Amino acid sequence: MKTISGKLETDIARLKEMLPAEDILTFSFVSEEKLPFTVIFADPVTDKELLGEQVVRPLLHYTGKPKAEDIGKQLTSPELRNEKTYDKLCTEILAGNPVLLWEGADEGIIVGTKKVFVRAISEPPTDVTIKGPREGFIEDIKINTSLIRRRLKNPALRMEMLQVGKQSDTYVAVCFLEGITPQATVDAVKEKLQAIEMDIVADSSYLVHFLKDRNYSLAKQVGTTEKPDIFCAKIAEGRVGILVDGSPIALTVPYLLVEDFQASEDYFVPAARATFTRLLRIFALLVAIYLPAFYIAAQLFKLQLFPIKLLQTISGSIRDIPLSPSLEMLLVLLVLEVLNEASIRMPKYVGMALSVVGALVLGETAVNAGFVSTPAIIIIAFSGIGLYAVPNLIEQTSVVRLAMLLAAGSVGTYGILLLSAFLLFYLVTAESFGTPLMAPFSPVIPHDMRDSLVKYNMGSLKTRPKTLKSKNKRRMKDA
Amino acid sequence: MKKPYKFFKTIPMKIYVLIAAVFTFVFFSNDFGLVDIQKTAIIIAAGVDRTEQGFHLTAQIGKPKGSERSSCGTASVDVEGDGETISECIAEIYSKTGWVPKLIFCDTILVGEETAKDDIMGALGYFLRTEYMPDSCSVAVCKGTARDMLKSVSAIEDTTSAALNKLFSNAAEKSGKVMKQSLKEFAIDYYGASESSFLPYITSESQDCGGESGGGEGPSSSNGGAAGGQSSSGGESEKPDKKIFKAEHTALFSQGSMTAVLEPQQTFTFSLLKGKVEAGTFAVDDHGEPVNVSVLKDKGNANLKVENKPQVTLSVNLKVYLFDRGVSSPIEDVARKELSKEAIEKSTQLISEQITELWNTCVEANCDLFHLSRSLYRSSPKKYAEWKELLLSTADLKVEAKVETMK
Amino acid sequence: MHKISARQIYFYLAAIAPVGKLMLMPTQLAFYAKNDLLLPAAMNYLLQAGAVFLALLFASKNRTFYDALAGTIGKIAAKIITCILVLFFLYAGLLPLLAQKLYVQKTLYDTLPSAITFFPFFLLSAYLCAKPLSSLGRVWDILLPVSIVGYLGIIVLSIQNADFGALMPIGASGADGIFGGFAYSLNWFFDSALILALAGRFEYKKGMAWKGMLSYLAGGAAILFFLAVFYGVYSDIALHQTFGFSEISKYFSGITVLGRIDYLFSFALTFVIIFYGSLPLHAGVECVYEAFGSKRYLRTLFSVIINVGMLVGVYFLNFKLFVTLQVITKMLFWIFPIFCVLLPALCLLLKRRKNEKAV
Repeated sequence: MKTISGKLETDIARLKEMLPAEDILTFSFVSEEKLPFTVIFADPVTDKELLGEQVVRPLLHYTGKPKAEDIGKQLTSPELRNEKTYDKLCTEILAGNPVLLWEGADEGIIVGTKKVFVRAISEPPTDVTIKGPREGFIEDIKINTSLIRRRLKNPALRMEMLQVGKQSDTYVAVCFLEGITPQATVDAVKEKLQAIEMDIVADSSYLVHFLKDRNYSLAKQVGTTEKPDIFCAKIAEGRVGILVDGSPIALTVPYLLVEDFQASEDYFVPAARATFTRLLRIFALLVAIYLPAFYIAAQLFKLQLFPIKLLQTISGSIRDIPLSPSLEMLLVLLVLEVLNEASIRMPKYVGMALSVVGALVLGETAVNAGFVSTPAIIIIAFSGIGLYAVPNLIEQTSVVRLAMLLAAGSVGTYGILLLSAFLLFYLVTAESFGTPLMAPFSPVIPHDMRDSLVKYNMGSLKTRPKTLKSKNKRRMKDA
Repeated sequence: MKKPYKFFKTIPMKIYVLIAAVFTFVFFSNDFGLVDIQKTAIIIAAGVDRTEQGFHLTAQIGKPKGSERSSCGTASVDVEGDGETISECIAEIYSKTGWVPKLIFCDTILVGEETAKDDIMGALGYFLRTEYMPDSCSVAVCKGTARDMLKSVSAIEDTTSAALNKLFSNAAEKSGKVMKQSLKEFAIDYYGASESSFLPYITSESQDCGGESGGGEGPSSSNGGAAGGQSSSGGESEKPDKKIFKAEHTALFSQGSMTAVLEPQQTFTFSLLKGKVEAGTFAVDDHGEPVNVSVLKDKGNANLKVENKPQVTLSVNLKVYLFDRGVSSPIEDVARKELSKEAIEKSTQLISEQITELWNTCVEANCDLFHLSRSLYRSSPKKYAEWKELLLSTADLKVEAKVETMK
Repeated sequence: MHKISARQIYFYLAAIAPVGKLMLMPTQLAFYAKNDLLLPAAMNYLLQAGAVFLALLFASKNRTFYDALAGTIGKIAAKIITCILVLFFLYAGLLPLLAQKLYVQKTLYDTLPSAITFFPFFLLSAYLCAKPLSSLGRVWDILLPVSIVGYLGIIVLSIQNADFGALMPIGASGADGIFGGFAYSLNWFFDSALILALAGRFEYKKGMAWKGMLSYLAGGAAILFFLAVFYGVYSDIALHQTFGFSEISKYFSGITVLGRIDYLFSFALTFVIIFYGSLPLHAGVECVYEAFGSKRYLRTLFSVIINVGMLVGVYFLNFKLFVTLQVITKMLFWIFPIFCVLLPALCLLLKRRKNEKAV
């Protein structure tokens, strides 16, 4: 890598050559002692006012030697770094940090006057809490790291910055607590991140693919959260957290399936309530996945699954329906998915209209016209609601529900059982950074079950989950 | 070696795509020769009568009431078939209607009186044998033919089978008026050491004139006519003669053949001996006035001792209270639950007499209703072998009845 | 893949292995031994528990069956014997599969479906068999509660209808009935042979042989209790009740109101039976792979071959279940003690070569 020459004109020419974009500007000025200075900066992302205040104004009266050390002392910016190589200087300029050069400079000074465009910290839409912290991550990695630092005022908290993306050079922070998180996990994460060769990292989800053990797997293998409190809690358990500049979604590894059945609120309400809601979530999810499938299997292959009175009602409802039971259910399911997809993308005011169209016009009219039956609509509506009881798994569970429906419509109950067996085997053999996805249920780790589908009182959770193989096991002193 | 490795490495994905395609195809074509709900005739009750050719089966097929999708309730269609065996009858029903008859929800089997007089297992064997029928269904004998009984119109329910089912409810059994029996229990008795059993005996009476009639007697609501015809109940074609069904009689069976019918009070006594009565009532005379006694707790037992000669002890231990009087009473008496000494004595005497009467009927009918042979076999197979033929005819009866009043 | 833990082996012996015996064995025993069905079952369990103990002792040396053989009698002979063991696994696994097929067709459908409905089982089985046998350990962790819930649900719903007096008089079926029942139900007890296939793939812990045997006996006690309830419910018609576990609880009084809620429990047990059914095939693939395979794709290939072979066998015998039952249970029942009792005992005689590597 080439280093700067010390000749101002040559260095400027070289940097301009490396950064030919029109929005890369230079600003030259001369001090009282006639020492020429030049600031090179990226116009859209540099705070010029701050640049003038912290760099130009102090140097106009500079009378010292042209040494980086002395010049740096004159600058009033708290964020200064020296760099010699052109490549590094270019990277900083593009990141919004101007580079200060002068005649005879042995190093360039990078000044942290990046212009920050951030939205306000707000409650994340994917994880709303009634009781508990409401702030969520935003797109700026610095603010996100500050949110974490505010919660973990601990020198052991490490936030190692990496740059990923050949074109984007996106900042990625690998966060962990030294002495708590197993070093092997940290190294594995860094190794995987450093091995990534892709153009841009538009969002943290781009990295998920590279952090997975099974690339083509539908199963979730990396945890996600938008909330700093959850992020910190996971780090404190011995996980590694990953923040990506430009993304409000933070990643955590190793990931356990049971994580998505736990909501942050579970820790702010009594343990009995938390246990109840967790069991309710898994029940809702199971119902959401299996109900349409069993409904179809029962209609096609095993009527005895219905009580006789219910069967009579269903039998009356589906009479004259032109579609077969399985096709009818598939149709209603697809309509639900389309409505769901459309309502997410649409502006809010149109979304309201869409709900009315979906619920009233489509549903009611379809039933009245005899296209679909009322039980099918009820089943899918119930299933649709149930799926959202565990919103973090929706991408996976909606596909599983469809697969179950296909299995049930083809082979019946046996198809459902076989597919469930396949899923079980698939999940129990999956691992995330050496940690079994289905822990603490498979393999059974009785200790960790205290905060799984059931939740014990805080006082019972004195040690960290064994699953995560944390070096420091105790997190609470005996009372 | 690299090539085959790569080939095998990618093969699972290809296979699973293929499987998904096959399943999707099967899903859309949906045909393993299976019968879905829209092609199914759900038989909710079956009536069996013996004919010269073999059997006549009347299948009551449940269907939703009305034509609106929002409607609920059940109506039924009676479809009939003939054949040498029951399965042939079912096949005939299938060929006539195009519906595939399914017995999975059949919870009542009605057997005609004449059919029950011969070995009833000839008629019930199919239902026991088939894997697609629950053997937990109720079985009953009816006066007249099962066909006419099933095709009559119930005064209280949409379908005959629903009305019959009400008779076999747990509440009815606790009243002591009905002794219900399932196919499984009947089969166990039939194939067991006792070779004896019982079935409820159904009679019907016209709601208007109140006269008792069997299925074969009196006007029938059926408009099905000959075998193979269809009739519907629950509709509003013409004003049918509505019937009320009763199961107060009980048919006794020995080696599968109906050998006697218990009168209603004998059925009640039988219930008492089985210890099943919890809310039943019976009437006694108290100082010349009729008194109704309600049973709170019933312990019944049949015990057999074989030393030189078999001795049967039939015992009933009842906790009762005064339920009603046939005459007006002062308010102090209305508040009283306690039976008088005389009423208790008369109750004890009445029950003792009825037990003896029931035993005599069983002996006459050669029906080991209390499964004495079975208990003898379980306790001593040798004695069972010795006495099994003569047990009922030679056994001495000892009756123990105890009635206690609630105080 | 990690090794199977000792706990997972106990789970298998106590809760998964017994479930496979709920399908046809109760009917078979009721046929031969009538009300004495508990006696032959208990005899079989005691014998097999001893064999499991021996197999676990063999596994304590932490080497696989093939390694142990190769270390003593040489690689070629070891390969031949391993192949014979694999054939035995396929033979032993045939009846459970045929039973499962019949069970599926009878219980999960209202009318007899085409035999092709059972085909997807082999897809799943081929997938399972293509993975190392040790990956099943974690499955057993999940199957334990499933099995317990299914079993308890069925027992709770059916026990009120059981007349345990039906089990009397003891010995009524005579020596013929009891020993006939014992011999003709030997085909359901091949768990010790499966332990041989698992040897070297689980962590042996001190006292594991005893604990494993006790786990197996605990599962056996549960089966004996089920047999008692089964005969109590069906009494003299028990021999007619194939797959009683799925029907035994339908007499529960709440069923009329709630519908067939008991199916939830029998489905739970069916779920366990699916894995149980593929286990002999899985063990077969593992043994063949160890003896002949070196590349990973070969495991997939062996899995496909064995599963396709079994599929052909099952469909060939589709309408010959009764004959197959007769041949396996009555004519060739003696094969089972050879592989399931004698072989584990003989395995203890195998020596370790000095340069042999412990797995």
